[in-house]
Amino acid sequence: MSARAGAGFGGWPLAFRLARRELRGGVRSLRIVLVCLALGVAAIAAVGTLRTAIDAGLRADGARLLGGDVELRAGSQPVPDAVRGFINARAARTSDITILRSLLVAPSGERLLVEVKAVDAAYPLLGAVVLDPAVPLRDGEVAVEPLIAERLGLKLGDELRLGEAHPRLVALLRAEPDKAATPAFFGPRVLATRATLDATGLIQPGSLLQHSLRVQLPPGGDAAAFVAALRQAFPDEGLRLRTASTAEPGFSRFMDSTASFLVLAGLTALLVGGIGVATGVRAWLEARARTIATMRCLGAPSGLVLAMYLVQLLALSAVGIIAGLVAGYGLTWLAAQFLAGSLPVPPRLAPYPGPLALAALYGLLTALAFALWPLGRAARIPGAALFRDAIAPEGARPGWGVLAAQLAAAAALIGLVVATAGDPRFAAGFCAAALATLGLFRLGAAGLMLVAGRVSHRLRGAWRLGLANLHRPGAPTALVMVSLGIGLTTLTAIAQIEGNLRRQVEADLPKRAPNFFFVDIQQDQLARFDALVATLPGVEEVRRVPNLRARITALKGVPVAQVRAAPGSEWALAGDRGLTYSATPPEGARIVTGAWWAPDYRGAPLVSLDASLAEGWNVGIGDVVTLNILGRDLEFRIANTRAVNWRGMGMNFALVASPGVLEAAPHSNIATVRGDPAQDATVLRSVTDAFPNVTGVRVRDALETVAALLSRVATALTATASLTLASGVLVLGGAVAAGQRRRVRDAVVLKVLGATRGQISAAWAVEFGLVGATSGLLAAVAGCAASWAVMRFMLGSAWVPLWGVMAATLLGCLALALGFGRIGTALALRARPAGELRGE
Amino acid sequence: MDAITSHPRPLPEQTPTESLIEARALSFSVASSGGVVNILRGVDLKVQPGEALGLVGPSGSGKTSLLMLLAGLERPSGGTLRVAGADLAAMDEDALARFRREKVGIVFQAFHLIPSMTALENVAMPLEFAGRRDAFDRAEASLRAVGLGHRLGHYPGQLSGGEQQRVALARATVAEPALLLADEPTGNLDRATGGLVMDLLFGLRERLGTTLVLVTHDEALAARCGRVVRMEDGLLSGGVA
Repeated sequence: MSARAGAGFGGWPLAFRLARRELRGGVRSLRIVLVCLALGVAAIAAVGTLRTAIDAGLRADGARLLGGDVELRAGSQPVPDAVRGFINARAARTSDITILRSLLVAPSGERLLVEVKAVDAAYPLLGAVVLDPAVPLRDGEVAVEPLIAERLGLKLGDELRLGEAHPRLVALLRAEPDKAATPAFFGPRVLATRATLDATGLIQPGSLLQHSLRVQLPPGGDAAAFVAALRQAFPDEGLRLRTASTAEPGFSRFMDSTASFLVLAGLTALLVGGIGVATGVRAWLEARARTIATMRCLGAPSGLVLAMYLVQLLALSAVGIIAGLVAGYGLTWLAAQFLAGSLPVPPRLAPYPGPLALAALYGLLTALAFALWPLGRAARIPGAALFRDAIAPEGARPGWGVLAAQLAAAAALIGLVVATAGDPRFAAGFCAAALATLGLFRLGAAGLMLVAGRVSHRLRGAWRLGLANLHRPGAPTALVMVSLGIGLTTLTAIAQIEGNLRRQVEADLPKRAPNFFFVDIQQDQLARFDALVATLPGVEEVRRVPNLRARITALKGVPVAQVRAAPGSEWALAGDRGLTYSATPPEGARIVTGAWWAPDYRGAPLVSLDASLAEGWNVGIGDVVTLNILGRDLEFRIANTRAVNWRGMGMNFALVASPGVLEAAPHSNIATVRGDPAQDATVLRSVTDAFPNVTGVRVRDALETVAALLSRVATALTATASLTLASGVLVLGGAVAAGQRRRVRDAVVLKVLGATRGQISAAWAVEFGLVGATSGLLAAVAGCAASWAVMRFMLGSAWVPLWGVMAATLLGCLALALGFGRIGTALALRARPAGELRGE
Repeated sequence: MDAITSHPRPLPEQTPTESLIEARALSFSVASSGGVVNILRGVDLKVQPGEALGLVGPSGSGKTSLLMLLAGLERPSGGTLRVAGADLAAMDEDALARFRREKVGIVFQAFHLIPSMTALENVAMPLEFAGRRDAFDRAEASLRAVGLGHRLGHYPGQLSGGEQQRVALARATVAEPALLLADEPTGNLDRATGGLVMDLLFGLRERLGTTLVLVTHDEALAARCGRVVRMEDGLLSGGVA
């Protein structure tokens, strides 16, 4: 409201008094406003509260999750002695952990990919491991997660095979205090002592394993200061250190981005709810037009009318918002149950004021942004309207003050969305897309009405009547289309994105994708390995490459700690990278810059680098990359950059070295085996029986792990987006109900004129069918556009239209529109002409 | 919008010799899809303070439009209009609202009571708009004056048509306006009830010394006014009435 109006309307106390009296008349017609607001606020409150609760859980349990105050991740190499000495001099206690994945073989011969965690006597520094039964874990013994025992049919006392060792199963691993810090992503957990792991023979040069050192500081020790001192003492080691406060940065990032998506899905529900608010408030005020006009006649200034109805709207919005907050908090409990297995810590559920206040603010701004227009129009209803038939002045605009307030509310809403989003650019894009979608449906409605107006007089019967209904003055065509369309657009976009991602991990598997990766094949096993797989049934193709582990320590002579890498390329600078060497380019590689070395090249070390990494690191041909291989720094000059297709499921290396340098270094090999999937079990068993240290990873299993994670995220998004559709259906119901009076009158007049029920029903089927079909078409197009934009610009990924999703959108829209239309028609046809005509 | 809350700005007072209503060459047109419709086509009218004027004429002749102009609910398209010393054409929307609540009471054919408010609250409303602290005391007195002292807490839906019109009458006169405008006040009532309401209306007018402009189709009712003018096709018969 403008300051001008605020100064002159007769005072807020009077506005409150009048509002209270008006509210006595009931708020039935505003129930839709309450529910629309409540739904949107509930979605946002639930997402925000859950995120805060998870963060609180992570913070509270940070040290326990990390398994100490500080963790040093050393990669495939043990912690250097100098570093260990520095730490031992300052720490209260330390504990060494080594993790690698391998195949666990049951007495039956069944095998399963597992992650072995080898620990020392000090483990765990914090919390407790729960073994069932509670026995001490000795050398030559293992404890396994119940899942492993179930899958492999194990019982306590069984002798298992792990690499070359035959440990005995002594207990089930019920709880692992630091599981979140070392999630067993590739397979369920096996817990063993370090001596047991050593006996397996799985630790070989080039093995994919992870050494880490947990540190517990003396009481009062400052983890941040300890980390700073360590980095200062060993600036060139590229130490990867984590403290309890950053225990789960990866998970937090994942949570942040998932929550951002969910908040936006909730906002879409609120946006549709806002349309419901606008139409609900408009209908409510239209019903009060005589009251307003009477007040104007009695001398009420427009400012007072505005204030009085604003007070009522805010009071009702407060009720809707509070209901939404309560419902949202309830949803948080449900979501926590649903997600219990996926979260590293139990969320600390509590009514956190921050997210609840934010959700309430979203609700309030939405109510204002959508309700001020009809409120402003109502305030301008003149007293003279009492003497006229049409009370609501068609086309009247609110005063400039109200318009400015509405724009301010809308701008604040957009500002809040962008300011509180994890990715402001995406949030701004979302706002723009939401406005564009609204505009698209308004335009679509205008187009449909225009066409209906042009062609209806050329048609006959139901078509003529149905089309005329679409474009007559006051027809709810635009409202029905917008309310139906926005929710379905959101659902379509999510379905398209999920479908595209799923295609990439499942259906889009390259035709020539391997069935297996076999890793850790030692140099002296190569000949036997080749001979064995050549005899196995179903094997069609075997490829092998050498595999070393290397850490990038400097680029162009600058230590990596000081390199400012572009987002999306930093990952490759942290920790160990796979490195291979080759005389010829990898199959299918496309050289982007430079040239591959000659097959017989034996000169100074050269390297071929992934082109996108080279761009992100701002390096090019001739620049020097320093690699630490087995503790030695070696300098490689970049000879060329390659386009690497990471989704190709082949053996891809960011770094490929020229031959002649690394052959002598101890290293292992990776092989891919492609063939008949029906023979997978035989191939896996034969290879890993013959080479106990070799681990086989089935590509399809790994992809299924990713797909399962994706599916959970998609479920959460779909659930939130369903609220949008629910809001849309509510608004649609409201729109149909608002037009019901006219529909009843029309039905009566048509019946009087001799129309049959069938003819009347057919006319309305035409009306709602066309609205549904047009909305469905637009929702499919808008959903595709949104999903394309997300895939293309956010995920940097290819997009294909999923025709099934589009068809489902179209049919869903049609079914909803026809369903609601059918209900409205059936009710209207029940009206008795005599009673209705007497009433007139 | 001016500050009018509990400190109403006094409106210019007319001098004793001045007419309460003075219209010269008053015209009023509205734009419609079929073109401009000239509803009033040069009305000249003078009404003295305390006078009762009956305004009769066929439907569509412009009676109600003239009433709306007098109430400041519409703006003249041409000519001048002074009511109670105020130049209505020169006032903005909210000054006109202030003018109405201080100087004008209106009685409608369809009563137009606020359904969610009691009789007492309906009547107190104009005084509340004016920031009067004694709004409810005066409203009660006003309702008693129309014989509804026992219906103070009733809602319009709980009252008969005649009672509703009496509430409307109490509401129109509670601020003791200089000008009382009545638009077919008995149109929705039976003859007996209508007669009772009109007795009350004329009684209040006399007691308060209020100027009355009564729009009606009923010639007998109009005859109760001191002067009757006829409106036809946007013009008052007989020139300056």
